[in-house]
Amino acid sequence: MKKFLALALALILSLSLVACGGGGSSKGSVYWLNFKPESDEALQQIAALYKEKKGVEVKVVTAASGTYSQTLTAEMDKSAPPTLFVVGNANSVKDWSSYALDLKDTPIAKELNTDAYNLYDENGKLVSIGYCFECYGIIVNPDLIEKAGHSMDELKNFAGLKAVAEDIHKNAATLGFDAFSSCDMDPSSSWRFTGHMVNLVYYYQERDGGSKWTECPATLSNDYVENYKNLYDLCINNSLTDPKDLATGGHDAEAEFKSGKAAFFVNGSWEYSAVSETVPNATMIPYYCGVSGEEKAGLNCGTENCWAVNAKASEADQQATMDFLVWLVTDPEASRIAVDTFGAMPYKNAQESTNKFLAAADQYAANGCYVMDWATNYQPAVDDYRAALVSALNAYNADQSAANWETVRTAMIDGWAAQYKAQNG
Amino acid sequence: MKQQTLASERRSKAILSGVLAVICVIYVLPVLAVVINSFKLNTFVKTDTFALPRGEMWAGFANFVKGMTFGNYPFYKSVLYSVFITVVSTFLILLFTSMAAWYIARVNSTFCRTLYFLCVFSMVVPFQMVMFTLSKTADTLRLNTPWTIPVVYLGFGAGLAIFMFVGFVKSIPIEIEEAAAIDGCGPVRTFFLVVLPMLKPTLISVGILEIMWVWNDYLLPVLVLDIHKYRTIPIHIQYLKGSYGTVDLGATMALILLSIIPVIIFYLLCQKHIIKGVAAGAVKG
Amino acid sequence: MSKKPTGGNSLRRQMRKWSPLFLAAVVAAFAIGFVWPFVQGIYLSFCKFRLIRDAELIGFGNYLTALQDEGFRKAFWYTAGFAIVSLVLINVLAFAVAYALTQGIRGSNLYRTVFFMPNLIGGIVLGYIWSMIFDGILHRYGTSIVENSTWGFWGLVILVCWQQIGYMMIIYIAGLQAVPEDMLEAAKIDGANKWQTLFKVTIPNVMPSITICTFLGLTNGFKLFDQNLALTGGMPIITMADGTSIKTTEMLALNIYSTFYNSKSTYPGVAQAKAVLFFLLVAGLGLAQLAYTRKREVQQ
Repeated sequence: MKKFLALALALILSLSLVACGGGGSSKGSVYWLNFKPESDEALQQIAALYKEKKGVEVKVVTAASGTYSQTLTAEMDKSAPPTLFVVGNANSVKDWSSYALDLKDTPIAKELNTDAYNLYDENGKLVSIGYCFECYGIIVNPDLIEKAGHSMDELKNFAGLKAVAEDIHKNAATLGFDAFSSCDMDPSSSWRFTGHMVNLVYYYQERDGGSKWTECPATLSNDYVENYKNLYDLCINNSLTDPKDLATGGHDAEAEFKSGKAAFFVNGSWEYSAVSETVPNATMIPYYCGVSGEEKAGLNCGTENCWAVNAKASEADQQATMDFLVWLVTDPEASRIAVDTFGAMPYKNAQESTNKFLAAADQYAANGCYVMDWATNYQPAVDDYRAALVSALNAYNADQSAANWETVRTAMIDGWAAQYKAQNG
Repeated sequence: MKQQTLASERRSKAILSGVLAVICVIYVLPVLAVVINSFKLNTFVKTDTFALPRGEMWAGFANFVKGMTFGNYPFYKSVLYSVFITVVSTFLILLFTSMAAWYIARVNSTFCRTLYFLCVFSMVVPFQMVMFTLSKTADTLRLNTPWTIPVVYLGFGAGLAIFMFVGFVKSIPIEIEEAAAIDGCGPVRTFFLVVLPMLKPTLISVGILEIMWVWNDYLLPVLVLDIHKYRTIPIHIQYLKGSYGTVDLGATMALILLSIIPVIIFYLLCQKHIIKGVAAGAVKG
Repeated sequence: MSKKPTGGNSLRRQMRKWSPLFLAAVVAAFAIGFVWPFVQGIYLSFCKFRLIRDAELIGFGNYLTALQDEGFRKAFWYTAGFAIVSLVLINVLAFAVAYALTQGIRGSNLYRTVFFMPNLIGGIVLGYIWSMIFDGILHRYGTSIVENSTWGFWGLVILVCWQQIGYMMIIYIAGLQAVPEDMLEAAKIDGANKWQTLFKVTIPNVMPSITICTFLGLTNGFKLFDQNLALTGGMPIITMADGTSIKTTEMLALNIYSTFYNSKSTYPGVAQAKAVLFFLLVAGLGLAQLAYTRKREVQQ
């Protein structure tokens, strides 16, 4: 009797310990692992809307900036893994293609109006499809350019950009604003230079090769490193912040631009909604860096935002996810929110974009300028590669010597080859 | 002659006291730096770290207000989860490990000896060894919420607690318990009425150690908890750095200040026990 | 002696009946929180996998990769160097402070309170506090803690000194208070000066405390993670001439963590193998301590 009682007691104790909430439902559910913290709010709104309209639960989880890949690894191994996740670059395709459903001819793929932003693995499987595209370059406040006695027409190549920027910087004290906003190198900002601006180095050699990259090249050439240096030097030396002071960050580049303290801001189309609040005229110009013929350059357009559907999720969940995606790109209300958040979506029935930076990208393209595609998506071992580049740039910012620049070059070019080798044996 | 040595000794003690006082002041400077910077505007934290927040640097309590919602996660939630997890985990550890330890110390079976050996063994295993598999196991068993994570703490923290309790139980004479048994007390009553009160000093020591461990722990909760929903204070603070946009150093310092104030108050209140507990825990190595 | 069965025996018998109540919760939690993850961890260190459910055995491959990993080897030497430097500094300073505080000077209690206080602050928070302080200083020299690996090293040393001196001090105070008064008296009567007393009487008598603190300092140094992550996170990174990069301030625990959770194609099996090696190292230190203390106890 006593033994039984003891057992029962123990059982209750341990049960109460392991007791937990949750419990599966037979209806499919959607779990979207999002990787852009800045779009989290809008996605939650969309999820709530879907729940309200269709009664299906959509869980949106956002990884903290810079932690997406580790969050994805951890989440995919859990009992309820994401049904919808982001596979946005070649590296990620390599890692996750066996966990992704082939999206060819699925209802959502049929809604697309272009194949340009889709990612395939080496067997031709459609691993992920672009759900929006973006552009980056240099955001400009035309009013400040005018105020400084210049005109937007001067910004047609590197020489023009340099002249304007240096002139503004020289007269910053009297003008009350400077050329570039701060170029912080802390994790919340360094990607603007190690992920985006560096694209010009990759893009131009891709163009020299004659065709778009379809996989990560094993080595890079040094051909355009000098051009990166041109533009990078211009940014850090003509800005509100002393280059020596960039390593630890703490400056709010967006706020500087928004409050009219800086005329240029290196960033992308996703900044439009924030920037347009106070600088409605803001526009975007390409990375002018001294490449010949760059008067014909356009913006850097592409995407890292590609949906992949978890192939190992239950059929019901896959179906629920598919339904959700189709709804998201066709429903007027939902696609309005999505388009306003993401900028523009490459789907036939999605709403029109109101983003002027993307409009600028279109304008450049319409004028016959070349679009700089996102070769940067092929960066091998992204996190480590960029971290090494950040360190090299930090050293260079502190002391702009030739030796330090050589380290930047090594990290950028040889670092690519080394990471490639480490990954591919 | 004697007078002279005494006087010189007094003088050297005064000098020593002075030196220590100076070191003391240096010792509290980092905390003071947190205090002054928590009232400073972001841009001045880096450039004028050691200046008082005067004039244009003064941010007042704005940093504290901003800190509450800073980093896309409400700070008060982190505080509540931290408190809950710490209190419940410590309670569970104290209750269950003291019971188990008494049993292990008094019943000399193979099972008990094995369990005890495993507990001692677990004390030398670094967390990195089990972190990957533990987070996976915890997730499968849904121990990834603040309400259930105490089970993980009980499991991973059992080793040290059992070791300390067993050591203490072995030092108390069994005759008292035997007397209780002869008086008709069953084991449960004997434990709760006789043994547990005697364990009080060790309960306090172990309790202090566990509180300090759980409260400050970063890696275990960050790997085990569903961090999008649940964050503890250390996770919250570490995630400020990774969050999108600019890190407001002033607000960060305000949060740090808020998170160390309770610790310091707790310390000042139970100083004697804390120091004793730590000294007792140190012996295990 | 014909007595009734002793209380002790009947108590033990009754306890066995109640064993589930006393043991079940701890055994279950211990199995979940330690035993199973440990066993699974050992197994996975011999497997290639991206997600645990796809694990396949590959033998010692992961260990080979781990040992060939330049970053891991570098992290080992860095950690060892750090552990030794911090060990020596912490112990010498902690002993000095403890010695001073046991001389019966006024305000001892206050000093003790202050010196111990940092020990209660968590590693992540400490890292933040000190990175602000170091950057505040280094800012004037146009550099920062994430740019300069020398500062990264000494910064971390200063941080752990600040944190752990108070802790070791407590242990030393306990040891010093246990030194027999009559031995000190005898030394005084024999005409020994302060230094002679310190080295000939006091220090030999606090050897047990010194042993504890030595091993404690060593294992603490090897296991350091939170402070390392929050202060520098391994920065700065050096790029070698061949393009490979090495984190200059990354310690073992952080190296293992990044191998697990960063986006390299080195699958987590390698990280788990590193973790097993790390465990052997730390456990080895622990066992050495145990053996050493045992030996001393026998001798005394």
